[in-house]
Amino acid sequence: MIEVEGLTKRFGKTVAVDDLTFSVQPGTITGFLGPNGAGKSTTMRAILGLVRPTDGRTSVLGMQYRDLDEPVRRVGALLETFDAHPGRSGRNHLRVLAMAGGIPRSRVDEVLSLVDLREAGRRRVKGYSLGMRQRLGLAAALLGDPEVLVLDEPANGLDPQGIRWLRDFLRGLAAEGRTILISSHVLAEVAQTVDEVVIIHRGKLIRHAAMADVEAMAAGSTTVRSPEADRLAGLLAEANLDARAVGDGRLAVVAPPERIGEIAAANGVVLHELSVERASLEEVFLELTGEPGERGA
Amino acid sequence: MTRLFAAELLKLRTLRSTWGFGLVALLFAGLVTAGHIGGTQEADRFDPELQFRIVLDGAFPAAVLSLLVGIILVTNEFRHGTIARTLLATPRRVRFVVVKLLAGAAAGALLMLVMLVVIAATATIWLGILDVPLALDEAADGVWRAFVAAALAGVLGAAIGGAVHSQVGALVGVLVWMFVLEPICWVVLGLLDLDGVAEYLPAASLGGLVDSTSEGLSWFRSVGVVLGWTAVATVLAVIRTRRRDIT
Repeated sequence: MIEVEGLTKRFGKTVAVDDLTFSVQPGTITGFLGPNGAGKSTTMRAILGLVRPTDGRTSVLGMQYRDLDEPVRRVGALLETFDAHPGRSGRNHLRVLAMAGGIPRSRVDEVLSLVDLREAGRRRVKGYSLGMRQRLGLAAALLGDPEVLVLDEPANGLDPQGIRWLRDFLRGLAAEGRTILISSHVLAEVAQTVDEVVIIHRGKLIRHAAMADVEAMAAGSTTVRSPEADRLAGLLAEANLDARAVGDGRLAVVAPPERIGEIAAANGVVLHELSVERASLEEVFLELTGEPGERGA
Repeated sequence: MTRLFAAELLKLRTLRSTWGFGLVALLFAGLVTAGHIGGTQEADRFDPELQFRIVLDGAFPAAVLSLLVGIILVTNEFRHGTIARTLLATPRRVRFVVVKLLAGAAAGALLMLVMLVVIAATATIWLGILDVPLALDEAADGVWRAFVAAALAGVLGAAIGGAVHSQVGALVGVLVWMFVLEPICWVVLGLLDLDGVAEYLPAASLGGLVDSTSEGLSWFRSVGVVLGWTAVATVLAVIRTRRRDIT
């Protein structure tokens, strides 16, 4: 379990985190979301004891990180900034971490295989691509087989296959009862992975909700494509649903896809596409953070 | 603590730059020893004190290199961002500083061991060719002083690195202090008739550990002064490291 209580962090006159409170429960994956500069990394570093809070407190597994016995075995972390010496091989980087953390050396090869770096592990890190560096960071986080994972932007630099692997892997870990906090500045990126979301902006908590609730907020926009788009539009209108033609036989409908599918099936309308408009998740995110157009800034 | 110390040694072993430092140390040791014997008058080569001086004069560059290795041991962490991973494994920062000091001592002693092997080999071969008998007692006296000097230099370097954090700042600062600012201080203090005070300055006291002449502070007093400077740097290192946010 991770707890953040009234956390405030100032760097000079800049308030990076402002009276932030939330908790992450065991067995869940919580997405920690906010635009760049929202205070996510600072909060995660405060949880890990790397940044001293100006006010408030953080705890992991019921105590401050620095009080944990064998912390690397209990908490795995991936930080946004790369943290391996460029002149050391990936394998030796992990060997150093394993030795410092009291982790058996055999575990190094296990995690290298896990992140598909077994061959590249002998090469010096400075020759690694962004994706390989990210996978090495994940290997370091997983080295101690920890019960808590704090991952800052873990999907950065991963290819789609890697992102899918990460999603399935994290879901498996959460199913074992582990506590996982992952940050992202893109809601859609973590939507299929997380159970809950904590959204912050300018260091302040905007919303802590179940992902299903956030998706419900976005579910108003569904794209449906049918060779009988006009007939379907009429049927949806009869059901008091707002359907707007967007060309090429597509309708944008303010309704969840289940409802549209049921109406189409009941009336024998053929559908070629029925999908939740994922961009609307970003619209919800931008609406919550209050500054449209700021995404990625 | 033991495994953290072992991890520090593994960090050193797994970097090519460490082996590069070792190679430079070997070359230094060989050149200084050869130059020393070659530059000694034939009549003086049979003075047993010569072999004591050969060891300590060869040890001076080792002590300076140990100081620099100690600095690099700590500042590498900040330069390459590895400090975050290190502190995740060692979240208690005082312990981090202590482990680094121990690693500095070990690195200095290992560097000195390597250099002493080269010094011994060079001196034994060359003195053998010149038919000069080996004075092992005199040399042994130099050897243990050299080990203590290198270990203390490594600790002092690690403490300075912990206090400064910036690698360029620490290395340039130390070299400028040793070879520019402190000599200026010696001159100024000499003009003020305070030569005795100059011997307590950091570089002078460190030099006193490998001083083969009988001038200046006694060896034991030099050890005490170096320990004093190390204590000052360590306190600064603890304060600085504890307060630092790793962002």
